[in-house]
Amino acid sequence: MSTRDDGPPGTQLVVGVDIGNSTTEACLAEIGPDGSISYLGTNLTRTTGVKGTPDNTAGALSAIRGALARGGRSAGEVHRVLLNEATPVISGLAMETITETIITESTMIGHNPTTPGGEGLGVGTTRSIGELGEQEPGQPVVCVVPPGWDFDDAAAAINAAVGSGVEVVAAILAGDDAVLVTNRLVRPVPVVDEVAAVEKVPLGMLAAVEVAAPGRTIRTLSNSYGLATVFGLDPAETRQVSPVARALTGNRSAVVVRTPSGDVTDRRIPVGELVLRGAGKTLRVDVDAGAEAIMDAVARAQPLDDAHGEPGTHVGGMLAQVRDTMADVMDSPGQPAVPVSDIAIRDVLAVDTFVPAEVRGGLAGEVALENAVALAAMVRTSRSRMQLVADLVSEGLGAEAAIGGIEGEMAVNGALTTPGVDRPVAVLDLGGGSTDAALLTREGKCTAVHVAGAGELVTKLIDSELALGDREVAEGVKWFPLAKVESFFHIRHEDGTVQFFDEPLPPHVYARVVVLTPEGPAPVPTRHGLDSVRRVRREAKRRVFVVNALRALRQVAPAGNLRALEFVVLLGGSALDFEIPDMIADALAPHGIVCGTGNVLGTEGPRNAVASGLVRAYAAAPVRAGQGPTR
Amino acid sequence: MTGSAERPAVLVYRHPGTPPAVLRQVCAGAEEEGVPTEVVDAPDGGDATALAHAAAQASRLDVGIGLDASGAAAVHHGKLPERGPAATTGLDGTPADWRRAGRTAARVVKGLPLG
Repeated sequence: MSTRDDGPPGTQLVVGVDIGNSTTEACLAEIGPDGSISYLGTNLTRTTGVKGTPDNTAGALSAIRGALARGGRSAGEVHRVLLNEATPVISGLAMETITETIITESTMIGHNPTTPGGEGLGVGTTRSIGELGEQEPGQPVVCVVPPGWDFDDAAAAINAAVGSGVEVVAAILAGDDAVLVTNRLVRPVPVVDEVAAVEKVPLGMLAAVEVAAPGRTIRTLSNSYGLATVFGLDPAETRQVSPVARALTGNRSAVVVRTPSGDVTDRRIPVGELVLRGAGKTLRVDVDAGAEAIMDAVARAQPLDDAHGEPGTHVGGMLAQVRDTMADVMDSPGQPAVPVSDIAIRDVLAVDTFVPAEVRGGLAGEVALENAVALAAMVRTSRSRMQLVADLVSEGLGAEAAIGGIEGEMAVNGALTTPGVDRPVAVLDLGGGSTDAALLTREGKCTAVHVAGAGELVTKLIDSELALGDREVAEGVKWFPLAKVESFFHIRHEDGTVQFFDEPLPPHVYARVVVLTPEGPAPVPTRHGLDSVRRVRREAKRRVFVVNALRALRQVAPAGNLRALEFVVLLGGSALDFEIPDMIADALAPHGIVCGTGNVLGTEGPRNAVASGLVRAYAAAPVRAGQGPTR
Repeated sequence: MTGSAERPAVLVYRHPGTPPAVLRQVCAGAEEEGVPTEVVDAPDGGDATALAHAAAQASRLDVGIGLDASGAAAVHHGKLPERGPAATTGLDGTPADWRRAGRTAARVVKGLPLG
């Protein structure tokens, strides 16, 4: 093989170009008369526009020019540009919360202030601190302190009341003063603080306040029979208050007020149904039935022809929007509108998740973990406008450009350049919107599938389960390992190793769970510990990528049998993730499959498979006659 | 200025001109977190950050608070460089800011996020 500046007669300079959903990759090579290939350079840029549309031209040209610059060649020398035949794939995500916790009549305060005061259980009638003096002695009282009361004044007022015979058994404060007030009381009582909407606490009602010792959780108010004992409830009433007990489980402090019809309810929200059409059947499934029921229906309707959601629901809106976006992308001026039958939802992935949501009717910003279903959907069309992109690239570069092969086939072709790989080989392209699989059999037959759900869904699950409310932070949690900042000078990584720093770490990361970005530790704004954040991250990746890897490989494997696969090569952006490839390899190991991250051309890692595959396919074409294969 | 404290505490070095309200809220912030403070009069010793640095050096917990005559507060850790305190409040601090300074000092001691 040679890399001469001016190829001898019969050599051809070609560029393979892969336009993907998020990146466009190029591979520059020189092909000898005997079909030998000398690779000269690769390049990667961002895809411009939706894949498979004329907007891709700009990105394709910049990828080609970059590869030419690296290979030290000029556009005039290019014999042919080879593009992948790719149909546009658009994916969408939606989430439906399917449970809701509601507190009525301000029955319960179940938040977890960091510093409650005192210890024990106090049961009495709620009274405002301003009216303590009017209280008859001998009747237990729970003192309610509105905002604006100084801790010294509050303690003095309570001490004065106690001095005149009022039996104050507990207190509820608006501010963060529980320890300060308790420290100043003649007779310390349990105190719950940081109750923002303290003015909504019903007065003159029987209430119980419980604070556990540090490191302990409450025992009475989180126990249904404890509540029954405190409030003298009959069995029917006890059944009614059991949701209150459940909602308070795991708290260090709590308040329960007994009101005539106060209640905590756990409501299931009807969110409509999903209609799946495929395999000659039309199946209807309630979205609030959960991911398992939905995926069961999806499996029975395979191959899926289309899916619809109920209008007015998140899922229905998302499915309609994905379809509309695709219709907009496919319509071109002067052409008849794309028939709707061309634009159909071809796959759906449902994942059970939970969303920390503020409790309706809560007095202190209580948060309950509500159940939710996340849905990823994918639409693809049979129409491609890649030929138009090829024409535009040709015009822009001044060299011939043609469709060189179908994406899935080219990906396997490029993956075969990974050292140690042989047919039959399957590739898994772990992308942003979809997970794609393609299989090349020993006989050279190729099949490919796209399934919905990939990196974007992982980010969304991490974002909502940790209540981050910031996509960028969620991306950080997904991409980088975690650590805990243990002092101004050292951190403990998630695997337990400790790293020391010469320069002090900034105060805003002190004692926090951080992600280790290339720019340094960035705090994860959450009250969760490192282990919980790690569990959420890994579970999100498992529920999307491991589930989809198995789903996609079963669809391409002969007779759906994973044992018939020998080599699986992981490609795409998420194949660069620090743990996803290991998780997939672990899941495939029991099936006797060799699985690992690809190393295209022995140098490119999981990148450039399709672009390299295009070059290889071109070089292998039997009749070239100086013109190359024609479509 | 008295010597280093006998019992473990966050040392508060206070300029004689410090407004009493500032001292009260700073100490309350640490008390609410359950960490003891000890107030020391510092007749001269520079600005709040310098006072906090000196206090942190003398504290058995490695954590100090400096309060200057203008009412500004700084929180320091004994191992941090003098001009790089853990937290400061401005000249126009509010009672909530002063309370937070005390709370921050306590949370440095406890190894909890400062925010």
